[in-house]
Amino acid sequence: MTTQTARTPGPAGGPTTGAAATRSAARPRKRGAVDRAPWILVSPFLALFLLTFILPILVAIVQSFTKVTRAGLFGEEGVTSTFAWFENYRLVLEDGNFVASIWRMLLFGIVQVPVMIVAATVLALLLESASARWPGFFRATFFLPYGIPGVIATILWSFLYVPGLSPIIDVSEMLFGYTPDFLGAGTVLWSIANIVTWTYAGYNMLIIVAQLKAIPSELYEAARVDGAGPWRTATSIQLPLIRPALVLTTVFSIIGTLQLFAEPQLLKSVSPAIDSQYTPNLSAYTTAFAYNDYNLAAAQSVLIALVAFALSFLFLRLTNRSSR
Amino acid sequence: MGLAGGAAAALAGCATPGTTSVNTQPVVPAAAAGEKITLTYWAWLKDLQKVADIWNAKNPNVQVEVSWIPGGNDGGYQKMYSALAAGGGPDLGQVEMRSIPEFMLVNGLVDLRRYGIDEHADRFDETLWSQVGFADGVYGIPQDSGPVGMYYRPDLYEQAGVPVPTTWTQWAEVAPAIRELGVFIDAFALDDASIFGGHAMQAGATWLRSTDDGWVIDMADEITLDVARFFDKAIDDDLVTTSANPFSPGWYAAAADDKIASLVQASWGDALLESVSGAEGKWRVAPAPRWEHGYGSSFIGGSTAAVLANSKHPKEAMEFAVWMTTSPEGVDAMIEHSGIGWSPARDYIGAAREEPSEFFGGQRYNTEVFQPATQQQNPDWQWWPITQQTFNILGDGFRGKATGGTLVDAVVAAEQRTIEVFRQKGLTIRKADR
Amino acid sequence: MTATVSTRPRTAADQGAAAGEPGQVRRGQPATKIIVTGILVVVALYFLVPVYWVVVAASKTTDDLFGTNGFWFGDTFALFDNLAAVLTYGGGVFVRWLGNSVLYAGVGGLIATYLAAAGGYALAKYRFRGNNLVFGLVLGGVLVPGTATALPLFLLFSQLGLANTYWSVLIPSLVSPFGFFLCRIYADSSVDSSLMEAARIDGAGELRIFHTIGLRIMTPALVTVFLFQIVGIWNNYFLPLVMLSDQELYPITLGLNNWNSQTDRLPEFYELTTGGVLLSVIPLAIAMIVLQRFWRGGLTEGAVKA
Repeated sequence: MTTQTARTPGPAGGPTTGAAATRSAARPRKRGAVDRAPWILVSPFLALFLLTFILPILVAIVQSFTKVTRAGLFGEEGVTSTFAWFENYRLVLEDGNFVASIWRMLLFGIVQVPVMIVAATVLALLLESASARWPGFFRATFFLPYGIPGVIATILWSFLYVPGLSPIIDVSEMLFGYTPDFLGAGTVLWSIANIVTWTYAGYNMLIIVAQLKAIPSELYEAARVDGAGPWRTATSIQLPLIRPALVLTTVFSIIGTLQLFAEPQLLKSVSPAIDSQYTPNLSAYTTAFAYNDYNLAAAQSVLIALVAFALSFLFLRLTNRSSR
Repeated sequence: MGLAGGAAAALAGCATPGTTSVNTQPVVPAAAAGEKITLTYWAWLKDLQKVADIWNAKNPNVQVEVSWIPGGNDGGYQKMYSALAAGGGPDLGQVEMRSIPEFMLVNGLVDLRRYGIDEHADRFDETLWSQVGFADGVYGIPQDSGPVGMYYRPDLYEQAGVPVPTTWTQWAEVAPAIRELGVFIDAFALDDASIFGGHAMQAGATWLRSTDDGWVIDMADEITLDVARFFDKAIDDDLVTTSANPFSPGWYAAAADDKIASLVQASWGDALLESVSGAEGKWRVAPAPRWEHGYGSSFIGGSTAAVLANSKHPKEAMEFAVWMTTSPEGVDAMIEHSGIGWSPARDYIGAAREEPSEFFGGQRYNTEVFQPATQQQNPDWQWWPITQQTFNILGDGFRGKATGGTLVDAVVAAEQRTIEVFRQKGLTIRKADR
Repeated sequence: MTATVSTRPRTAADQGAAAGEPGQVRRGQPATKIIVTGILVVVALYFLVPVYWVVVAASKTTDDLFGTNGFWFGDTFALFDNLAAVLTYGGGVFVRWLGNSVLYAGVGGLIATYLAAAGGYALAKYRFRGNNLVFGLVLGGVLVPGTATALPLFLLFSQLGLANTYWSVLIPSLVSPFGFFLCRIYADSSVDSSLMEAARIDGAGELRIFHTIGLRIMTPALVTVFLFQIVGIWNNYFLPLVMLSDQELYPITLGLNNWNSQTDRLPEFYELTTGGVLLSVIPLAIAMIVLQRFWRGGLTEGAVKA
């Protein structure tokens, strides 16, 4: 986001605030109304934002520093809550499966996000080139999966992955005599990546297409005068100008990657390779609702949020630096 | 802003859910005569409402409504836990025997001895009754269970020219001949350790015991390790498939394609087998293969109707559950509509189960195999407060088999990890002296 | 096609055609055209195959589903039986789930858009103490994964007695930090301050100015935020999964998953699941195809002007 604000002419709408200043100086009697107005406008949003974002984060932090111990065989002789310092965080970070799930998501992100963004960019460029026929049809087709919820997309694809049900496996056996295993330990992560790419590639493409359409025609004109071919036009005009869209889609994809939940949770029932802590979110969910350890789960949630925050921030910093 | 303010107040007094016990509070009195009440029951048995309707017709004042939930850890427990944490939830919940201690840990269950369950105790199978009693209380009404036997395909065994095994040693001997036909003798579920637990139970292991001074764990004992070694070898020799868990879509496809010769499973597997495409008449049932020590069978699965902590009418809920699980009409209806596993009623297996089965080629497999199996159970086995977590840890370890690990290592590691989790929760646990 | 879809005066493709020359040069290369279109066709197949499969699968009985090739219809054409079963099973619970989804997404999307517009507008067009703090907080909210807040939100709502109610899903859906962010950028660049000033001189109150001028000018961005939020809520799974235990309150995602998870014990649910997936995909597919033309306006503006 820093990239983008850096490109705006002034911070917080430069000229506006200047105008507001002169205006309020010139019309002192309305000053009260003008001062109150922004708070009236922003407060409903802010109240809900505090309730659904800030408070839960505070609750999570409080819970993550709490430890519940039980006396007796089942806690029937008393349950006590104590302040735990960083005990829960230590336990979470010592839990090899949880840490592995974060690494797994990083690996997933490093492969899937670039593949998807590159695919979306290529598709957008192809659609916007004059060489494509029926661009409207293709655009709609590519975008369609975005409207299909991840849960339903996963149900769909799981049918295409499961041996005995999957026509893809049947066809592959028939044509190549090869039986692909979409749900094995080494492959299921990429089967999930396929579902995610299938769902979101078209959406990202659409954002890029929108940005491509906003490129002033004079630039194409100039390129043509310079004798640039389609390849030159793409690399030296189109790609640099769709940068903001690429940054935006990449950041959202990174955040999305860490949120991965529905796909592995559903595929778990058909793939023995997916365990109860396959992704960080699945881990937190299992810890909270299958093991009933809300404190550990809170620590996991806080860590997930921190990692997502750090990664997005890092990426924005990197793109910001290289753009200067 | 009011809502946010209330939330802030709640935050200040934010207690971790499940830390107050319902069983130290006064007993909830029975509903007054003539008062009309409605009980809710969350269960994953199919068409259970039809069973409840029989009760409802006879008890106009105590109506039972059934809601379907996903099975156990596939989502049902998560729903019950979250409902309990939110201060609500149904009167009755379907809780597997092995999960009762976990629900106790979050104070989720009502001790039924406070509501007079003792007078009904002799209506239930003894082994199962012992699995619902903990710390001088009774926390669930056994509803179904699964004594283990072996389903097999006589035609495939005949084709391979080998006998149907009666011991595990023999099982390992005949498996290669079956494998040569391109058929697996069985499937081994790497991610569902409960079946492995059943094998260990049968071999005579007792993983955890509650004693007066805390829990004693004996998971990585020689008995269990022997079982682990046995299946390590079976997997290494490619005798069993690990890619299709029993009753997964892949397994159904393989079974329909005549690629599965037998299946050591609980009695409730019969209904599932019937959904294998074109399986009618092909399968038979034999007693489970035996280890050199231990027992003739084990219980896999098995659930209870448990009265949950926030129930407003625990007494009535208990009475309904006792009726449902032990009265002949209740048992018969549950078999007919819900296809339950083995009935826990001590002296009634259900009229339908005494008949010869058409699907199993006229075999009276229930009286022949499963009824005797209920008498050959490991009486010492006990479930523990983090059973599911132990099974998950074990399952996670078993998955390592695909990448070079062994089941033996997984068992040893799971024991250690289980001890750590117990201690994290503040529970006392020690290793058994070996 | 491009012309009808376009909300902007010129697109690259139009440009090429209008300028004549380069378009003709490219049209003179049928090989390129065939290759490019060929690639797009292959990609389109990839996107459509699962949808095609579910159409076929929904027309099959469970026996055929496992017994016949997945890419072609089975022996018995059971589509209408299956769809009827989907709509009537459990007293029409499927229809109820659809209705819930429409309620969550529709109401949530509308209110969320309005609140984000008001907030973004306020931040862009007024200078006040705390302006930057609010913006920073909300920007942080954009980056926090929604699922990370769902668990603590559940604990919080449990304390408030809101868990397992319509509110538990609806309230969090009313907040769209991304929409807020987008509205702020858009208002900043498109709502003219002199227009506001003129309205003030005419004696209009600040809220009136927002409702009559601000909202109108911001319409393209609002459409985007609205669509974005609707799809976000419609597709949400984690939040309702955590919050809801009562089936009557389920949105369609949870409901279908409920059926799907019954298939391993009760194979007859395969028919319900595939039929239900088909029924829920069709309206969405149509909506996406119709809506994609509205999609870009605001987002482009936002992204370009950012």
